[in-house]
Amino acid sequence: MSAAPVHAEEWVGEDVSVADVERALWQLRDASAEGTEGPDLRTSVMTHLAWVPAEWREAAVETLAGLRERHPSRGILLFPAPSAPDGIDAKVSVLAFPQRGGRRHIAAEVIQLTLRGRRATAPASIVTPLLVSDLPVFLRWRGELPFGSPELEQMVGVCDRLVVDSREWKDAAGAYRALESLFEQTAVSDIAWRCTSPWRRALAGLWPEIAEARELRVTGPSAEALLLVGWLRSRLERPVQLVHEDSAEVESAAVDGTAVSVPSDETVSSSDLLSAELDELSRDEIYEGAVRAASA
Amino acid sequence: MTELAENPLLEGLGPRRTPSPCALVIFGASGDLTRRKIFPALYSLARRRMLPERFAVVGVARRDWTDDEFRERMEHAVREFGRDDFDEGVWGWLAGATRYLSLDFTDEEGEDRLAAVLTELDVERGTRGNRVYYLATPPQAMPTVVEAVGKRRDTQGWTRLIIEKPFGHDLESARVLTELIGRHFTEEEVFRIDHYLGKETVQNMLALRFANGIFEPIWNRQFIDHVQITVAETLGIEGRAEYYEHAGAIRDIFQNHMLQLVALTAMEPPIDFTAESVRNEKVKVLKAIHTPGPKHVVRGQYGPGYVEGKEVPGYRQEEGVAPDSTTETYVAAKLFVDNWRWADTPFYVRTGKRLARRETTIAIQFQRAPHPPFEDAATEELKPNRLLVHVQPDEGVSLAIAAKVPGQGMRLRTVNMDFIYGGAFRTDLPEAYERLLLDAMLGDQTLFTRSDEVEEQWSIVDAIVAFWKRGRPSFPNYAAGTWGPAAAKELMRRDGREWLKH
Repeated sequence: MSAAPVHAEEWVGEDVSVADVERALWQLRDASAEGTEGPDLRTSVMTHLAWVPAEWREAAVETLAGLRERHPSRGILLFPAPSAPDGIDAKVSVLAFPQRGGRRHIAAEVIQLTLRGRRATAPASIVTPLLVSDLPVFLRWRGELPFGSPELEQMVGVCDRLVVDSREWKDAAGAYRALESLFEQTAVSDIAWRCTSPWRRALAGLWPEIAEARELRVTGPSAEALLLVGWLRSRLERPVQLVHEDSAEVESAAVDGTAVSVPSDETVSSSDLLSAELDELSRDEIYEGAVRAASA
Repeated sequence: MTELAENPLLEGLGPRRTPSPCALVIFGASGDLTRRKIFPALYSLARRRMLPERFAVVGVARRDWTDDEFRERMEHAVREFGRDDFDEGVWGWLAGATRYLSLDFTDEEGEDRLAAVLTELDVERGTRGNRVYYLATPPQAMPTVVEAVGKRRDTQGWTRLIIEKPFGHDLESARVLTELIGRHFTEEEVFRIDHYLGKETVQNMLALRFANGIFEPIWNRQFIDHVQITVAETLGIEGRAEYYEHAGAIRDIFQNHMLQLVALTAMEPPIDFTAESVRNEKVKVLKAIHTPGPKHVVRGQYGPGYVEGKEVPGYRQEEGVAPDSTTETYVAAKLFVDNWRWADTPFYVRTGKRLARRETTIAIQFQRAPHPPFEDAATEELKPNRLLVHVQPDEGVSLAIAAKVPGQGMRLRTVNMDFIYGGAFRTDLPEAYERLLLDAMLGDQTLFTRSDEVEEQWSIVDAIVAFWKRGRPSFPNYAAGTWGPAAAKELMRRDGREWLKH
């Protein structure tokens, strides 16, 4: 499904203003349409924000590359650099993808902003003018969530849905306790939760015996093990003990000695996982229940 | 729903559209439909893990093929016509579930052999006596197959019968077929395919109308001037002379696809999206269609011409077509839906072969603004608002609105606001047959036609064909590669309107 852009226009600036970025977008869009039948179609379905600390930069750019052709959107990547001198550096790209069976192109816009110095503590004031009007705003927060920090508070206020991956957290159990506080502010989704979906379906197949479950044994990442046990506790409304053995991905799960298996699927890329989260808009109360019970 | 209520773990996992174990029997397995549509659709479903784990396919036809020969042919078909990349593993699974049986439909012994194979598969593949019989056969073979399958139907599991169009060739034959089917199967077991209903863009008509508050209040005679529906093909009859000589455009497209599009455009909002509710509303529209008089119907037949720069023969020069054939390859009609919503609002419909371009569109033309406060010169390039649903190609919806041309003064032009499927949803649209095969296995009849719908469709067609019999048309009356006969233009011109030019 993923296609390479037909052409790409790019603009780079140092110490820029938001107005410079907006102007660059207009100019790139015009340039991108030259020689085509009419302007490229801007069929944006969302603004996709990503908060990307330095250590996640490479992974975030790669994920976005796999994503932008699937979700026509304006992508805004924010790279905080709080220890650098104050200012904003920008790289703006307009990418044109072929329209299936059509003569025109579909445009995707990517804005990469390095927020230097104090600019990194006021990100909402920078991204708000750049959001596409009246479309949902998804915020992918890479790495640990800095609960209580001004940048997280501001960005949560801007977005309709916060997307995290709790497998990126060192202390998932502790973070889940803090995460609960965000549920009333924005819809939250978790890529780790998405990854548990085939296991949840397999475990649901153990109904009705599973209704009396006492112990869940999981070999897999801590986040997924915690979410699975939290899910069982909240849905079955009973205490369930977790026995966890760590591994890079979920290898096995068993309830009271009864093992379940899931079909070994083809490799799912990080773009696929994030893409699936971007199709969801409403609050996921089952997830919220699992998070509360996981940290209980 | 019961399962969900009992099992709290299923909540939030989303509907699982995987049917229960079953065996799919394809009658007419050596035909084009199996090769071009059914097997590529099965492969796409298998690739997405949407077929049941315990599943079997039995191809049935007269050709003397072995299992392996049939599998090999189907593999080529999937490679040629499938929408996905070919995956050896997926194909291996589907091929492993596939058998072939060479038999004559009229051969009782052969039918017994089929029943025995299915019983074997119940043990071998765990298909539990659940059967989907797909009748991809010529219409004349249908009664024989229905009778043979009906007599041997397994009572152990569920049974579903998928029937390809045409369902009969007139009202009487449709009723006879319905009666025959009714002897062995209930209406809930019968799935009459009109593959147009499996198209995403056709289903989107329901979303467009009933999920958007802005359209439904103006979706009536007060705001809509008229509706135009076009089902145009550039292809000729592609070697199907035997079928087409008897069917013509009126039975091939008008009776089914065209009238379904009219029904979906004109129907009242159903109370829910269950099969019965949706089909009840469609039947009401079909019942309300005023039988068009001779002046309101145009038929045509293509002569030689050029399509995409290539010279093509006329219909009468096609192989297998009588040199003096009076079969129509084009139909245009002005229909009226006699109810409160649509009284006096014409639905102009046209379909034909070898037309100027391939497209299926539904155009809703709204009435002009009652008093635009601009000078005439400012609005001379202005067209009325028009909502255009592109069923194929360029699937999507566009709305023509007036906008000011930038610059001094006030000059207006019509511009299009586009929603393009491939732009907003960057995912391949599933083929209609994938959706319909899966729905039939799941027992969901929403996108299939009910017997009373089919009968209403034939009533309209029979009335048109009856007055056609009174005269001999002067064919050919349009050149291949054009938009049809002059009389079709005249049909619109008389009303001060014109067909959309694209």
